[in-house]
Parts: sequence; C-alpha cells; structure tokens
Amino acid sequence: MQENYLAKWLNNELTKEELEVFKNTDEYASYKKIADASSKLQAPTFDIDKALKDSIANRPASKDIKVIRLNPLKKLLRIAAVILVLVTGSYFYYNSLDETTKTDLAENKSLVLPDASTVFLNADSKLSFNKNNWDDNRKVSLNGEAYFKVAKGKKFTVETSEGLVTVLGTQFNVENRKGFFEVTCYEGLVSVTHKNKTIKLPGGNSFLVINNEIIATEAPNTSAPSWITNESTFKSIPMLYVIQEFERQYNITVDTKNIDTNILYTGTFTNKNIELALKSICLPNQIKFKLEKNKVLLYAENAP
Amino acid sequence: MDSKTDNVCEEQVYNALFKANSKTIFNYIYYKFGNEEKAYDAVQEAFIKLWENCSKVTPHKAKAYVSTIANNLYLNVIKAEKVRLKYADKTLVISNESPEYILEEKQFHEKLEKALADLPENQRTTFLLNRIDGKKYAEIAEMENVSVKAIEKRMHLALKTLREKIEGI
Repeated sequence: MQENYLAKWLNNELTKEELEVFKNTDEYASYKKIADASSKLQAPTFDIDKALKDSIANRPASKDIKVIRLNPLKKLLRIAAVILVLVTGSYFYYNSLDETTKTDLAENKSLVLPDASTVFLNADSKLSFNKNNWDDNRKVSLNGEAYFKVAKGKKFTVETSEGLVTVLGTQFNVENRKGFFEVTCYEGLVSVTHKNKTIKLPGGNSFLVINNEIIATEAPNTSAPSWITNESTFKSIPMLYVIQEFERQYNITVDTKNIDTNILYTGTFTNKNIELALKSICLPNQIKFKLEKNKVLLYAENAP
Repeated sequence: MDSKTDNVCEEQVYNALFKANSKTIFNYIYYKFGNEEKAYDAVQEAFIKLWENCSKVTPHKAKAYVSTIANNLYLNVIKAEKVRLKYADKTLVISNESPEYILEEKQFHEKLEKALADLPENQRTTFLLNRIDGKKYAEIAEMENVSVKAIEKRMHLALKTLREKIEGI
C-alpha cells in the first residue's frame, strides 16, 4: 500500500488492485463510516450577503488620507534621526579633541589642569592637552614659555619641538622659542630629554640650548621665574633673544642698526613700562633707542 | 481575462471574490479555533486588508492572501475551543430505523465530534475543509501555504487518528 493511502483513497487515487486490498481489510468499514459521516457534517451558518455588506460598510473612508497623514511624520522622524546621529557624533568628536590655550603678544595667562596642577603661560605661547584620559596620561604640548606647578601624581610630560620634559611633581619653567630651549627647575627633580639624551635636573638648576648648543648656566637664585612677577631676567644670553623677548612682551617691532646682536646680556627688564625696559637693555651696552608708535630703533651711540 | 476584471479594486471583482471565498475563510478559521465570532471577524479583517491592498494583489492570488491574513490574525492569540458541528443527514431525522440504530448513530456522532475536537488543529482544518467543503488537496495546500504532499499526510493521519479514537484503540 502506498504512502498516505487513506488520503489517496478519499481522493479516489488508489489503483483498482490497491482498492481491492484495502476493501478486504478489517478497518475499511470504519474508515468508510467516518468518511461518510464527516462529509455530512455542517459548519455554522454564514450569511455571505450580510458579511459582504458589513465588509463594504467597514471600509476605511479613504485610502489616500491615511497615506498623506503618515508621510510627514515619517519624514520628520528621518530628519530627527539624522540630527540625533550628527549631534551625538560631534559631541564625542569634540570631547576627544585637545584643549588648547593661547596667549597673544604682550599677554599672560594662568590655567588649572584637571589634576589641579597650575600653568602660567607667558606671552605668544600655546599649550594644549587632552583631558579625556588625563589621570592616566598627564601630557601637555608646549610652544613658547610656561611655568608649571605640578601636583604630585603620575608622570607629567611636557612635549616641545626641542625635547621632552618629564617630572613627577615639582615647579619648573620651560621656554621653547625658535633656536632657544631652556628648562629651569625650581623644586624637585626634572628629567629633560633633548636629542635622545636624558638629563636629570635637580631643583635650582637650568638646562639651556641655544642654536643646538648646550650652554652651561648658573643656578637661578629665585623660587619662580621672574616673568611671573612681570620682569624678564637674563644671564649671559645673546642680545638677539633678549630683543625677541622684548618684542613679545610689548607687542612691538624692534629694528637694529650697527649693533652686534650676539653680545651677551645679563640683566632684567620690566614688562610693564616700555621706556624703563628699553633703558634697562640699552644703557649697560651703550646703545641708543628711538621709540616710535609701533616700532623701536636700536642703534650704536657712535654710529655716523 | 481582460484588464478590467484583472483588478481587485474593481467593485465587481471584489464582490465576486468575496462571495466565492468568504464562506471558506469563515469555515477555515472556525475549524481551527471553534469560535464563530472570531471566524466572522477574521473574514471581515482579511477582506478589508484585501481591499486596502487591492492594487497589489492579483485576483488569482486573492484567496491565498485572505487565508494567510485570517490565519495570521489569531496566530498564538486565541486558544482553540471545542469545534461543534451539526449533523446534516436528514435521513436520520425522518428515518424508519429502529431506536437501537438511531441511538447507535447518535453515539457514533458524539464520538466523532469529540475525536475531531481532539485532533491537532492543522489536521482537523485540512480534514474538514476536504470533507465538508469538498476542497481539493491542492486548494487546501494553497490556503495553508504548504505542499500537497503535506496535506495528504495530514489527511491520512487525521483519518487514522479518528478511527483509533472512535474505536477506542
């Protein structure tokens, strides 16, 4: 007997022989009875005409209304989704950016880092850091001059174009100008890496590089750089860098005439009074100056 | 068929489809769940959906479409109730048969009804669509979205189970 022969039998698909065999079985009579009885059963009454009337009455008033009503909301949601993505995206983007502080010529600024370390930024300088993982990575980038009071904690690194300055917790000054790199440690211990060489700088010592030449300097006898108290101090520094610092502090252009800018200068000038500052620079070296609106001319006394 | 009668959105085509198939859909859902009210609602719901999507459904797909919707409507939602079916055999009422025979027939009918109610839902639906509504296996396969072979299997098992239940095997 083939597969599903009962279904085949109900559908008159059995062969003559198969039907003979099936009819001779004991079950045939009861199968026949069930098949006959079940076909005489009736489902509950169903009024087709009434149902059709109901169906037509139940139709939504207009198919178009639905479409028009849904569309603006969908569009609005799409716009809202795009805005949401942009806002969250830019939020995370800006959060990951470095924070940068800049000073202009003749401007000083002080700022507090996330761990309460303090930085004083001298004129025409730029400092940037990333506050995101500050606790694990205390690192700032410096271009210019800054004085640091570092809170105790993990390694603190100052990155400059000339080299790395690494400390644990101390007070020190870093000056990084064109051709000029000076680190002065006032307290604690500072490690300076310059051209793959690391130097340990204990409190009260300076490290000075002018035009790639390391220059031995004497220890400062102050507890903080003089520019913090609005003075610029130099000890055997070429006149060229003194003039550049003067330009930065007063936002002014200096021209020189018949002057050797390589002569060494030792002294201090104030950052508050331009006339007094010019006298401080010029008098010891027998230099004359002419102060104009945005310009200063320095010239030798015995010039023709 | 010309293009006009090819569109379910045409009132005439829709009405014809409704008249041809609504009773089958009603019975189909009734055989499944044994609830007249739900079966009636299923017909209404399915044909409203057909009307709303009349431009997307071709007439010869309409039947499978409405049965799928009617079926999905109560999927996992209602529990099957007892399927109650009337006996249409008029001869039973006006027969000259002996009281013993009538009693026997009555008992047999009660057993059959109970056995049908106990069948798995898909076997009962398939079996009754064939026996009561005279639907061909291919037609039932289209409504249930399965192969003809699967319908044959259900028919075979349904009849086998019914006999076992009725004879108390």
